[in-house]
Amino acid sequence: MELVIDVKNLSKKYGSHEAVKGISFEVKKGALFAFLGTNGAGKSTSIEMLCTLLEKTSGDVKINGVTLGSRTNNYLIRKAIGVVFQQSILDARLTVKENILHRGNIYNLTKKELQENWGFVDRYLHLEDIEKKKYGTLSGGQKRRADIARAIIHKPTILFLDEPTTGLDPQTRVFVWDAIKKLQEETNMTIFLTTHYMEEAAVADEIVVMKEGKIVSKGTPNTLKEQYTYDELFVFFNNGVDGSSLLTQNNLNFEEKNGEYRVRVQSTIHALDILKELQTFISSFEVKKGSMDDVFIRINEEVPLT
Amino acid sequence: MNTMMNLVSRHNKVFRRDRMLVFFSILSVIIVIMLYAIFIQKTQVDAIEQLVPASDQLKTMVNEWMVAGLLSIIAVTTTLAALGIYIKDLETKVMADFLTTPNARAKIQLSYVINSLLIGFVLSLIGLIACQLFIVFMGGSWYTFEKIVQLIGIIVLAVTLSSVFNLFLTLLVSTQNAFSTLNTVVGTAIGFLCGVYVPLGAVPDFVQKIIMIFPISHTTVLFREALMRDSLDKVFEGAPEAGNNYEIQFGVHYEWNDMIFSPMHSVIYIIASIIVFTLISLWLYGRKNK
Repeated sequence: MELVIDVKNLSKKYGSHEAVKGISFEVKKGALFAFLGTNGAGKSTSIEMLCTLLEKTSGDVKINGVTLGSRTNNYLIRKAIGVVFQQSILDARLTVKENILHRGNIYNLTKKELQENWGFVDRYLHLEDIEKKKYGTLSGGQKRRADIARAIIHKPTILFLDEPTTGLDPQTRVFVWDAIKKLQEETNMTIFLTTHYMEEAAVADEIVVMKEGKIVSKGTPNTLKEQYTYDELFVFFNNGVDGSSLLTQNNLNFEEKNGEYRVRVQSTIHALDILKELQTFISSFEVKKGSMDDVFIRINEEVPLT
Repeated sequence: MNTMMNLVSRHNKVFRRDRMLVFFSILSVIIVIMLYAIFIQKTQVDAIEQLVPASDQLKTMVNEWMVAGLLSIIAVTTTLAALGIYIKDLETKVMADFLTTPNARAKIQLSYVINSLLIGFVLSLIGLIACQLFIVFMGGSWYTFEKIVQLIGIIVLAVTLSSVFNLFLTLLVSTQNAFSTLNTVVGTAIGFLCGVYVPLGAVPDFVQKIIMIFPISHTTVLFREALMRDSLDKVFEGAPEAGNNYEIQFGVHYEWNDMIFSPMHSVIYIIASIIVFTLISLWLYGRKNK
C-alpha cells in the first residue's frame, strides 16, 4: 500500500538535549494513525518537524512522496498537509466564514476552488449554523469544527490533529470524531492523530507510542492489546463461600482485594466456562476486556506482561 | 500577490475590529491634545507675545505647531499598534498556522509590515483631515493643493520610517507582555523625543542633541516647516531675529554646532535611517529565525 509518511531515523537535538532520538515509522495512505506518548515524550517536536515548522537534526522524512528539507520540497509538503493545533487559533473578531476563507486564500485557491471547497468542508462539519457568527463567541465544540474546517479548506492529503478533542464535552467529541472518520473513509484523507483519550486511539489503524524521544511500541490496537493487556473476570462470591479455595481448586490465577476476586482469562469468552462452573457460588461478576488505557499505562510504566 | 493581499487584509481586519487596540494606538495623540488645551498653547502664546504683538495668525501658528507634532506621533503609535498583531500571532500560534501553508516566512513577515504601513498611512491621513478642520475651525485657512501634496509626502516618509523603526523594536520582543511594555515606553517617550510635550529650547543641551539624533523627530521638523512656514513669515514679519530664535527654540529647524539643518538635510537623514533600520531588522529577523 502507498505510504504517505515515511520516517527513518528522525532526530532533533537542542544543544546537548536530544528531544527525538532516531525514530522510524510509516503511515499508509488513507490510514488513521495515532501517535501517542506522555507529555514530553517528543510527540510535538516530531509533529513540528513533519509539518515543516521545525528543522530536523538528522534522518530522512518523505511526506506524500516528497523528501522533507529543501525550501521547494517543504512548500510542496505544506500544500499536502492540514494542521489542527491543540489551541484555537482563528481570529475572535472575524466570523467563521471570514476566518476560513482568509485561510483558503492563503493557499492561493481561485474563487471557484474556494467556493467548491467551502461546500466540501460544510458537508463534513455542518458550518451553516455558525458561519456568520464571530469565532470568539462560539462554544468549544463549535470552535473545534471551525478549526478543522480551516485545516481542510485546501483539501489536504494528510490531516494532522494535535489532541483535537481535549476539553470537549462527550457529545461534541462524538460529533468531531464522526466528522473525522467520515473524512477519512469518504475522501481517503490520511489522519495523523495525537490524543490523550485512549478510546480514540483504539479506532486507529496503526499506533505508535513514544517515550523519552524514542518509539517504544507500535502496531495495530489489537496487536498492542495482545502484547500489553489481558482480559479479566471480576467476581464477588456469596456470603460464607471461600472464593480462594474454589478458584484454587479450578487452577485459576487470581488476586483478591476487599472480597473482589480478579481472575485473568485468556479471552472474554473463556470467562463463560468459569462462570458456568462457579455460578451457584457467585453473587455478582464483571468481565473486562484489556483496553488501550491499559496498553498506554503498561508501556509507560514499563510493566511487562507476565 | 493574492496571498499577500489576503494576509494584509486579514491583519487589517483584526486591527480594525479591535476597538481597544485602535483607541490605544491614538492614545498619545489624545494626550497631546489634552496637554495642549490645558497649558502648552497658552504658555507658547504668552512667550511669543513678549517678542511680537498678539494676532490671530499667532494662535494659528501655535496650533500648527501642535498639529505637526501630532501628525508625527500618529505615524509612530499606529504603526507600532499594527505590528502588535505580529507579536500576538507569534504567541498564540497563529504564526505557526501560517507557516504550515505554502508561503515563505519572509513573505508572511512582510505582510505585517505592509499592514503596519497601510494602517499608519490611513490613520495619518484621517489625522491630517481632522487637523485641517481644527485649524479652520480655530480661524486658520484651508491648505492649498500644493501643501496637501507636500504633507502627504511627509506622511509617507514618517509612516515608512516609523514602521521600520517599530519593526526593529518589535523584533527585539517575542511576548505580548514585553510588547505591551514596549508600547507604553514608546507611547510615553515619543512626545518628548519629537519635542512635542516640551519645546526643544526648554531641555538641556545634551537632551537637545539626543532629540536631533532621533530620526523620527526629523519628521516633526518637516511637518512644522510645511505647516507653519506661512504663519511664521507673517507673525515674525519685521522681526527676523525673533523669528529665527523661535524656529530654533521650538524645533522648526535644527541647529547643530552652528550648522542649520535644512528640510532637505532632514529628508536625507530620514531616508538613510529607513535604510539602516531596514537592514538592522533584516539582520535581526535572520538571527531570530535561524
